[in-house]
Amino acid sequence: MTKRMVIALLALVGALVSTYLALFNLGIIGELTCSVGSCQKVQASEWSSFLGLPVAAWGVGFYLATLAVALAGVQPRLEESRRVSLVLAVLTGWGVLFSAWLTYLELFVIREICQWCVASAVIVVGMFILSILDVRENSEPRTEQWTGAGEVTPSESGVSPPPHPRV
Amino acid sequence: MAKERMEQGRRGRRAGVVKGSGRGGRQSQRSFYFVLGAVALVGAVALIYIATRPPQRPMVTTIDPAANTGEARPHVYGDPNAPVTIAEFADFQCGWCAQFAIVTQPDVKRRIVDAGLANYHFYDFPLPGHANAFPAAHAAACAADQGRFWEMHDQIFMGQNDWAPRRNPKGAFEEYARQIGLDTREWERCYDDQRHQERIQANAAEGMRRGVSSTPTFIIGNRMVSSAVGYDVIRAQVDSARVAQGLAPVGAAPAPTPGGGSR
Repeated sequence: MTKRMVIALLALVGALVSTYLALFNLGIIGELTCSVGSCQKVQASEWSSFLGLPVAAWGVGFYLATLAVALAGVQPRLEESRRVSLVLAVLTGWGVLFSAWLTYLELFVIREICQWCVASAVIVVGMFILSILDVRENSEPRTEQWTGAGEVTPSESGVSPPPHPRV
Repeated sequence: MAKERMEQGRRGRRAGVVKGSGRGGRQSQRSFYFVLGAVALVGAVALIYIATRPPQRPMVTTIDPAANTGEARPHVYGDPNAPVTIAEFADFQCGWCAQFAIVTQPDVKRRIVDAGLANYHFYDFPLPGHANAFPAAHAAACAADQGRFWEMHDQIFMGQNDWAPRRNPKGAFEEYARQIGLDTREWERCYDDQRHQERIQANAAEGMRRGVSSTPTFIIGNRMVSSAVGYDVIRAQVDSARVAQGLAPVGAAPAPTPGGGSR
């Protein structure tokens, strides 16, 4: 499995967790299952909405967007695309910052921890680390390199380089 | 030179296996889509089950709805003439009561009481083991004299961890009184005189008479619910009380208008 496949799987799990919390925020689920901390206190706090929408709903959108990009990135046509790697890194990097802010609010403002929020934060961090590794992998040079003395190394794709012109 | 060849071989192999679209790559993709589909299916089924399972109704019993309320005087929120009454018997020092007040009650007020579908009666039921429950009930009753019972109620429950362990919680209550804009001098006179002692005792006695033995306990129509239940359970009991009177249940009623509560 490639890193993008793992990112897609994590994004799917994150989308399911966010949907669960969003269903609570919308009043469809009466109570949250929460063995650690106080999920309902966190979810009922003034910080549980952002720009007029429940934070969990933003989470669903974020995870679905990440899932879509990661799925596009596993298609044969795009699996070596550096642009996909960068989009994933920017998306998940933004997610890490947002999660850090939410975790700060939980720990120091609301003073309660919500296990589902922590799970989401762990997923986002995991996706971000994998995205960075993916960017690095796709940043390795695929050009021919002049190593001196009439030798040319093969390209990253394994295709032999064109013959070096003899002077 | 040999080292360079090894490096070249390593790069080529990686390029071929990880990013390749050969048979190994196709197989890897196939198993990836299988795992992805399985996770999506299990997650979707779990969410549908959670969203549609019937609400749990812990400790729901049937009681006499004609029970006389005697001299007890609850604190009322919402339309006094609403067809259904949600009566809560609560202790300000009880942790579950605080959880209900903070987490669930705002929903109940907004979606049921403000919509005129029911009103809300708060009865003091200070438990003997809670040394600061009676003073807290007093602090709230004195705020009610100035028309701010519910604001004080919210402050007291939100600050429970702060005042509950104190030897004398008056300072905390006084601070809440100031925060919600009460005439603190008048509030303090009322608090120090224990002006509402009889009312609090009458409310507690009313609870005992109606079979309340723990907090929070809710009496809605002919049902008694003894647990800090979620919104769905309260709504279900209000629904059955409304249906018993030939009224539409909450779900079928018009949407609430904000700020419709009264005291």
